[in-house]
Amino acid sequence: MTAVSIRNVSKVFNQGKPNQVDALSNVALEVKQGEFVSLIGPSGCGKSTLLRLVANLLEPTSGEVVVNGKSAAQARLDQDYGMAFQQAGLFDWRTVRKNIELPLELKGWDKSKRSARADEMLQLVQLPEFGDHYPWQLSGGMQQRIAIARALAAHPPLLLMDEPFGALDEMTREYMQGELLRICAATGTTVVFVTHSIPEAVYLSNRVVVMSPRPGRITKVVDVSLGGERSEDTRNRTAFFEAITAVREGLRGMHAAHVGLGNDDR
Amino acid sequence: MTNVVRRAAQRTVMFVAALALVAVVWETYKAVGPEDGGTVLGVRILPRTSEYAMPHVWDMFSRFSRPEVRGSERTVLDAVTAGAWYSFRLSVAGFALGALVGVALAVLMARFKVVQRGVLPYLVVSQTVPLIALAPLVVSWGGRVEIGAFVWPRWLSASVLGAFLAFFPIAVGTLRGLAAAPAASVELMQSYAASWTKTLFKLRFPTAVPYMVPAFRLGASASVIGVVVAEISTGLKGGIGRLIIEYAREATGDPAKVYTAIFGAAALGLVMAGAVVAVDVIVMRNRPKEAVS
Amino acid sequence: MNRITTNVGKVLPALVFGVAFLGFWEWAVKFFELKPYFLTAPSSIWEQFTGNFSLIRGAATVSGTNALVGLVAGTVLGVAMSFVLSRFGFLNQLITPLAIALNAIPIFVLVAVLNNMYSITSEIPRRIMVTLVVYFIVLVNVARGLTQVSPTHVELMRSYAASDVAILRKVRIPNAVPFLFTALKIAAPAAVITAFVSEYFGGSQNGLGSRISSNIANSKNAAAWAYVLAACLLGLLFYTVSVVMENLNRKGGVRQ
Repeated sequence: MTAVSIRNVSKVFNQGKPNQVDALSNVALEVKQGEFVSLIGPSGCGKSTLLRLVANLLEPTSGEVVVNGKSAAQARLDQDYGMAFQQAGLFDWRTVRKNIELPLELKGWDKSKRSARADEMLQLVQLPEFGDHYPWQLSGGMQQRIAIARALAAHPPLLLMDEPFGALDEMTREYMQGELLRICAATGTTVVFVTHSIPEAVYLSNRVVVMSPRPGRITKVVDVSLGGERSEDTRNRTAFFEAITAVREGLRGMHAAHVGLGNDDR
Repeated sequence: MTNVVRRAAQRTVMFVAALALVAVVWETYKAVGPEDGGTVLGVRILPRTSEYAMPHVWDMFSRFSRPEVRGSERTVLDAVTAGAWYSFRLSVAGFALGALVGVALAVLMARFKVVQRGVLPYLVVSQTVPLIALAPLVVSWGGRVEIGAFVWPRWLSASVLGAFLAFFPIAVGTLRGLAAAPAASVELMQSYAASWTKTLFKLRFPTAVPYMVPAFRLGASASVIGVVVAEISTGLKGGIGRLIIEYAREATGDPAKVYTAIFGAAALGLVMAGAVVAVDVIVMRNRPKEAVS
Repeated sequence: MNRITTNVGKVLPALVFGVAFLGFWEWAVKFFELKPYFLTAPSSIWEQFTGNFSLIRGAATVSGTNALVGLVAGTVLGVAMSFVLSRFGFLNQLITPLAIALNAIPIFVLVAVLNNMYSITSEIPRRIMVTLVVYFIVLVNVARGLTQVSPTHVELMRSYAASDVAILRKVRIPNAVPFLFTALKIAAPAAVITAFVSEYFGGSQNGLGSRISSNIANSKNAAAWAYVLAACLLGLLFYTVSVVMENLNRKGGVRQ
């Protein structure tokens, strides 16, 4: 079962003009149902662009994106995915509960169903007492948890995340990573996750996709063989460090190639 | 909530104190200034301090309680309050009309970039231009313009002028607010495949509210100005503007009376502003306390 | 070539709209046979404007001078007072609520009493009114500029053991200059509007406002519209000058 299929996708901005950007060039990727895949790479490698192509917030210049067996456009209309960004993006004028209900309102659910689902999501992210608070009364980490609750409110099979933990401090970040995995295990959601952080990518994913810029493309895919379970210990295991090293080499190799140095740089 | 109330109370006290200071300066100048006015560096700039030109502050207040015209039952307070109330209702009507048109135009401009590019520059420029010059023209429509069975009442000119002046800042401010929705939130709504109208009501309008409030404040005071000027330029019967002109004409015999009407106009402005601030506080009560410039 | 087309693209809709608006106006007056007391055709207005130009210019000069005198006086007094305000911070508590309240009040009604304090042919009441309006605008903005300086800058100066006067000169005043120009952009049109509105209260009848009223009273609507046009141009002139002054200041390399 393929959740997301990216077939020979290219994306060019400002085609033909002096400020033309080859954001993505011939990218191909298959994401299986229930997988957790991270996209990592330096600025300009196209990872956020790729995510937005899957979300159908952008159209590819060539190639196609298939989500849940449909075109990306249809998947968006059918609301087959939920999305979370670096800024939690909760609406200040709505209570936490009403924020979670937003996608359900747009789908036309009636009040009692929405309310029940909102309660369920609040339980899932372990913030049941905060339903009637306002977003600005919550910490950054808590706001992100609500954003995730909102993204999963309609129980979509796919979750797309663009550096959601980037604005959090290190301790909160590690805690949130654990929470995210717990939630995804409970719901069986497929996740495509964009990040800047190598340890984060390795900790969370089944596979880490390393991308490079100019033009944006996939240079390496690292299989993270840490098994299904994560725990406090995971970050101390050898397999963890090996995977990190593999990803780092993938990133550095391309960086060195760019800068014109050998592998023994620095 | 109590914090807001406390600050408001503090501000009011300070405002009264400032007024008291002005009164003190007034009386001091009256006591020491030249009876017939004077010159500074050859320019005849110092006002006269005689009883007729500058009545005492306490006379201004006591004037409220005495009859408007000799032999009449009606006190000045009654007359001024009636006049201010009349003008207030015209201002509210004008403000409502201006707000309706202003917000509608802002939505239109937000929806159709072409309309925005065509109209917005004129809206912005109009705020620097004395549109109030049109007042006598609009007022002259009173009683002479007929649309079918409807004859343009004279008071409508005052409201229309108020609406006209209010509409510009409201349109510009509302548009700014509608455009201020963060890109990530717009993307979020796109990811929900939400229509433009749904996005307007669920995202853009709520985001616009903090921008609309100062625009509405400007609109409210613009509406008052429009109405008062319309009343003054034609002596519209019943309004505070006409009272000011009337009392000013009687100033040689009754110097304190015109001040009462001025206080009435001031009260009118403050009440309008207060109403908008009250709505602001209610509408924004659940939002974080940030300032929007 | 690209930049030119983009710029034209930006300006074109506004031009098209303006021309279309005037065209429609002209057509509507002719087609609906609108009476002159309701709406006058743009062509008649222009005719009157060019025909009476010297009269119009004279009236505009009177109103404009009132506005200018008040603008200059109000700015000078406002700036002076803002220094006092920045030195004696507690006065802020007194002045700010007053300024906020005055914003809401149709303050120009004071002209009614000012007229009584001076002779009937004097332009002084109007000038005082403009001064008052401009004074508060400039005061509030420049005071803000003098006091709302970056705390980091002040800390830095204190670490140099700089005196208060030095801080004023080197940090507060440069910070306040853009605020002054912002104030002028608001005050300049306000000055014209106030000078204008003040004329409705009687007194000397030489300005634009009085001419508009008298022309209407004599059913000379096209002429009245011509004076309205002049008033708008005057306001635009004042605003443009203040914008130009702001831009000149920026080019001087002070900030941004």
